[in-house]
Amino acid sequence: MKSVVLLSDARHPVSGRAVLSRLEAQAIGLGTALGGTLTGLHAGDCEDGVQESLGHGLSALDILSLPPEADPVSALTDFLKAQKADLILAGRRGEGGFDSGLLPYALAEALGLPILADAVALTPGEATDTLVVDQALAKGARRRVTVRLPALVTVHPLAPAPLPFAFGAMRRGTIRRHVAEAADASTDPVEERPYRARPKLMRTSSATASAENLHVGPEPEEAARLILDYLESNGIRRYG
Amino acid sequence: MTRPRIDPRASRTEQRVASGENGRRRYDLSSRTASNPIGPPRRDPRQEWAASLIDRPGRRRYDRSQRPVARGGASNVEAARVGSAAEAVSTEPTVRIIEEPAFLVFAFVDAPGGRLSRFDRQVLGGARLLADAGGGGGAVVAIVAEEIDGLGAAGADRVMSLPTNGSASARAAALRAAIETHAPRHVLFAEDGDAADCARRLSVALGEPLFSNVEHLTARQVVRPNRGRRAELAAAPPRLMTLGEDRAKMHAGAPGEARPLEFETAPSDDQAILSVEIIPGDPARLALSETDFVVSAGNGVTDFEGFRELAALMKGTPGASRVVCDAGLMPRGAQVGASGTVLAADCYFALGISGAPQHLQGIAACEQVIAVNTDLHAAMIERAGLAIVQDAQLVMPALIKLLKERQS
Ligand SMILES: Cc1cc2nc3c(=O)[nH]c(=O)nc-3n(C[C@H](O)[C@H](O)[C@H](O)COP(=O)(O)OP(=O)(O)OC[C@H]3O[C@@H](n4cnc5c(N)ncnc54)[C@H](O)[C@@H]3O)c2cc1C
Ligand SMILES: Nc1ncnc2c1ncn2[C@@H]1O[C@H](COP(=O)(O)O)[C@@H](O)[C@H]1O
Repeated sequence: MKSVVLLSDARHPVSGRAVLSRLEAQAIGLGTALGGTLTGLHAGDCEDGVQESLGHGLSALDILSLPPEADPVSALTDFLKAQKADLILAGRRGEGGFDSGLLPYALAEALGLPILADAVALTPGEATDTLVVDQALAKGARRRVTVRLPALVTVHPLAPAPLPFAFGAMRRGTIRRHVAEAADASTDPVEERPYRARPKLMRTSSATASAENLHVGPEPEEAARLILDYLESNGIRRYG
Repeated sequence: MTRPRIDPRASRTEQRVASGENGRRRYDLSSRTASNPIGPPRRDPRQEWAASLIDRPGRRRYDRSQRPVARGGASNVEAARVGSAAEAVSTEPTVRIIEEPAFLVFAFVDAPGGRLSRFDRQVLGGARLLADAGGGGGAVVAIVAEEIDGLGAAGADRVMSLPTNGSASARAAALRAAIETHAPRHVLFAEDGDAADCARRLSVALGEPLFSNVEHLTARQVVRPNRGRRAELAAAPPRLMTLGEDRAKMHAGAPGEARPLEFETAPSDDQAILSVEIIPGDPARLALSETDFVVSAGNGVTDFEGFRELAALMKGTPGASRVVCDAGLMPRGAQVGASGTVLAADCYFALGISGAPQHLQGIAACEQVIAVNTDLHAAMIERAGLAIVQDAQLVMPALIKLLKERQS
């Protein structure tokens, strides 16, 4: 199986230095566990952070040189069409760029591939050319989807931690540079300004004890019934 | 602040009472005149305190939170101020009906298990804000996949049910058809899970930009972080938006009617998806920060075998206070509180926990709290929505017995 991990130009949240995004490092871990060949792909001009991926288990890295603000979708599409990869892995959101998480979807549309979001585990399917993807849902639930390859999968932060970093592996890994045609990024009329932290809403409880919900010294059986009824009427759990 | 100035001499003269020719000058100081206008009515602090008194036997308790609670006294503050406590204000909310909406605002509601989460309510609240923008008259349409209770109270005027067969692309295609027919002014999603996925599919399919992870939402402007929170982007509210968690207020006004809005689509199928299966989370093995229901033990619990059995039967994740973890009775990973895990759960069940401030910090986000404690004056009893003053060692076996009865 041939897999490609998409690597973006991520920035460290505090220092602003170029780093490898943690999500993409987790994607490398998931891809490595699947077996087959796994390579990295980055479109842009930032090599410092992306190079780290070689130390996390990639054997080779393709870099499509583009000017900093160019739109990477068309360059990535052309390259991936030629590559014919079975599986394309990406992070669900970038860290330090436009951070909209739209690139994998735009790419899937351009390549005509199915896309599955928020994967936490990947296993080969029973039939050849299929993949079983576990998607993270709220409250610890998982959705197990079997998909026919080729497909594009984005990775959730709850996926297993990335493989440990090895400096020697990073030095040994091969980097292949390609020239790509830059498409103009669409100019959007949004105003950019320095970030201002805004307070989140306070989470307060809606229910405080009132007279009818305070029970002093009830029989234990009565107390048990009250507790289960409270849970069921508030829709927390159903018993029996 | 400006107030009309009082001319003391003029008001004195106006207050003079006509009296006999050679009698003493007399004044009526209680009369209010044009040059001595009545100021704001005087506050009566005693009556205000009386209105926030919770009628509960025993120790006096006051509710000074500014939440509107359905309490006998609370609605009487206004009446008490005027001086006639005779007629109590009706607390029955009137449903607000929008017959001919000027425009529509779609709110994508995920609500797994048919229950509105806090985040879903915030999305509906944000949509309500956009629908009331400008002249108002807009209607909020909740986009749902299954039957959900309480959509009206959360601010929805219409409900549109889009059938799903579990495939995300089919749902996005149905929503796209609905958007093309009804042409909503805004479509609001949660920046989380399936909603975020659907928003991005739609943005690519419609070829429209998506304003993702909105952190500041008003009728005039939306703001989202950019470049790893070193910059932010501001714009007038566009059509497609995803909202960050805890960024918009829930709807608190009059409930909407949540009238069903018919929409027919032929469910399409994604050829590449071969099978879909939902695996429910196992609460016993979930991390405390991920679960929705925590059953927790404090220093008042002595039978830990029974406690673990109870947590498993109640399908809750076991937690503990620091005292219990320090004593080695529960693993450190189970500690709830400031130096343990801060919960995001909906419900917290505290057995024999006093409710120290460091512990209460950890459960600040829990909407429902149940406390069992022998001490009526424990802080946990005060925090709880259902408080039971009883020995935890007696309640636990009773609960286990009742749960086993209900299961069989
Ligand atoms: C810096 C710092 C950080 C801390 N961080 C945390 C933290 O993260 N998490 C945390 O939990 N604590 C924390 N603490 C400790 C905290 O202050 C309290 O000491 C602790 O929470 C008390 O735990 P407890 O309620 O289980 O025990 P206690 O305070 O001993 O309370 C036991 C309660 O059980 C009741 N009880 C007794 N017998 C029974 C019975 N048979 N049936 C029913 N009820 C009974 C009693 O009435 C009492 O209310 C921290 C303290 C400090 C100084
Ligand atoms: N220039 C790029 N080259 C390769 N992959 C990218 C690039 N930008 C983004 N990606 C991938 O798309 C994901 C989402 O990025 P974004 O849409 O920018 O939030 C990232 O986690 C990467 O996997």
